[in-house]
Amino acid sequence: MSERHQLKQFLAGRIWLRHLMPFPEETVDEAIRQGEIHIEQGVTSKKTWHGTHYTCQRCHNENPTRFTVFTCAQCEAPCAYCRNCLNMGRVSCCSELLTWTGTLPAFPTQHRMNWQGNLTPSQQKATRELLDSTKQGVSHLLYAVCGSGKTEMLFQPIHYVLNEGKRVCLAAPRVDVILELLPRLTTAFPDTRIEALYGGAEVEHFDAQLILATTHQLYRFHEAFDVIFVDEADAFPYTADETLQRAVRKAAKPNAPIHFVTATPSSQLLAMNKKQGNISILARRYHGQPLPVPRSVALWNYDKQLKKKRIPAKLLRWTTERLDKQQPFLIFFHQIELMELAEPLFQKLDERICAVHAEHEDRKQRVQLLRQKEIPGLLTTTILERGITIPNVQVAVVGAEQTIFNKGALIQIGGRVGRSVPNTSGDFVLFHQGITHAMDEAKREIRKLNRTEVPQ
Amino acid sequence: MTCLLCDKSLDYQPTWQHFLGIQQDTSACPTCLEKFERIDQVIEDDRLDSVHSLYAYNEAAREYLHQFKFMQDVALAQIFSPSLRSVLNDSKKIVVPIPMHPINKRKRTFSQVDALLEAAKIPYQSLLEKTTESVMGEKSRSERLAMTELFRVTADIDSNEAIYVLVDDIYTTGTTLRHAAEALKQRGVHRVEAVTLFRPMREK
Repeated sequence: MSERHQLKQFLAGRIWLRHLMPFPEETVDEAIRQGEIHIEQGVTSKKTWHGTHYTCQRCHNENPTRFTVFTCAQCEAPCAYCRNCLNMGRVSCCSELLTWTGTLPAFPTQHRMNWQGNLTPSQQKATRELLDSTKQGVSHLLYAVCGSGKTEMLFQPIHYVLNEGKRVCLAAPRVDVILELLPRLTTAFPDTRIEALYGGAEVEHFDAQLILATTHQLYRFHEAFDVIFVDEADAFPYTADETLQRAVRKAAKPNAPIHFVTATPSSQLLAMNKKQGNISILARRYHGQPLPVPRSVALWNYDKQLKKKRIPAKLLRWTTERLDKQQPFLIFFHQIELMELAEPLFQKLDERICAVHAEHEDRKQRVQLLRQKEIPGLLTTTILERGITIPNVQVAVVGAEQTIFNKGALIQIGGRVGRSVPNTSGDFVLFHQGITHAMDEAKREIRKLNRTEVPQ
Repeated sequence: MTCLLCDKSLDYQPTWQHFLGIQQDTSACPTCLEKFERIDQVIEDDRLDSVHSLYAYNEAAREYLHQFKFMQDVALAQIFSPSLRSVLNDSKKIVVPIPMHPINKRKRTFSQVDALLEAAKIPYQSLLEKTTESVMGEKSRSERLAMTELFRVTADIDSNEAIYVLVDDIYTTGTTLRHAAEALKQRGVHRVEAVTLFRPMREK
């Protein structure tokens, strides 16, 4: 394959720093001379009455605190660079961003789908609706409860788009989700070029038609995809970071549908799709059993008691009961410090109990040990609130009144319980000192979903 | 304001000291700053009259220099401003940064030592010029020690009696600093000291 052709496949749909292009300079220069590449200034500035307003042309960051101005030795002038997308290579006033303007590469239209799983009637209905929206080019919200088999419902719509010779992106805010999705999709589409992009991963297949990417990676795409699916659309940091939401919009071709998949849609997302899109609600898990409803138990001054090196009595009783019955358990904490204070206390009950949080490299391994019953239970922060399945796990939240446990987080945490057959239910307890609106709303929402009629 | 290293928001409490400009803005959170191990090691050498290294070159320092120099995050220069100011506050001493070769500087778009001093608002004189394009970090110890002249003095030395302080980001074998001191001493300077931000510590 010629280098020119590779360049086209690589750059089409991407926005890339000129000095980081994985091609020899002559190849890039030649394409520029042919008018196939557009060059853009990395950071543009606009003078206003109160100073200079900068915009990063890659991540569309406009927040003035996320720019730093320095005396640049290259352009020999004060130069601003963007700190928002710094880890993908610095974009500054004097750096050049390249986009492809030539003819677009063609993708194969014959794709084999190797997946014979059965969908429940409600899953089938949701898949059909999602496929219809994809055909019409309308954005769709798939509102499906935890453990309803969301990924499987995406296969048919993805297959349809691939067979049209179009490019698809499956994006998620967290790298854990991407790494979990990759093997499932490579098995489902064995002949399709698939690539996973996340922080630290290099671009290997320039001709990937199906791209799995963290939402951060979409900063580096520009009008690339005919359809984008955003999985776990409510997870941090996607909802908190406006530039990520813009990145998703920017990575899609104009008028391309952007589908959202989540178990806990924000009211904003619901409102947006009510106004200009479609919604499918999947209120029942694939095994058909209702979601576990949380019970609230007052646990006053748990923080003071833990600081005095004492496990509060109710929490102690709950934990010893789990140990006696040999049920795996997760205990969620709102703060790493408090969790680390509690860790040695729980280890007195059973020395195998340990804690996990975002900075633990081996958290995957510890979850695996819990699944294999090598560890009786884990203490965790909200890092394990989504994406994990442990048979027969029982869940407690300590300090459920804390603001970090909003409605979405509580529903996600509850979603860990009773995911698999035969343990389709389990204990989901909120230890609190004062019931919050979020706790009430989560409980109301779960009850409402459990009451919803489902097609048989 | 958020921490330059971990992006967590900084607790900001307005104080009179801050309002009057006595208290300086902090640019990193205490948790991140704690990871840097202050050593204040001063050693003497035959050609350098003293070398003062502020911090141990540990994991945090390695990550810091990576983001600052290779990811070109100039904003990080501010983090060590207070500590650099505290050791380079003598106005009688003349501060001389270790320069980069002009070609390398253009590639990096800034010189890290100049950026550190500018962020700390420490006046300095660029008296030296790097004569080779090669970089110390890519050389073995024996190659470094075998190097001939690395620096040239470009400006006139005003006063031989004054104390000159060389500033560099990291002290490894000391070759760079010794060459720079040699260049100054050949021009008749009596005393050359050095301050470096980091220095690797031997495992005990």
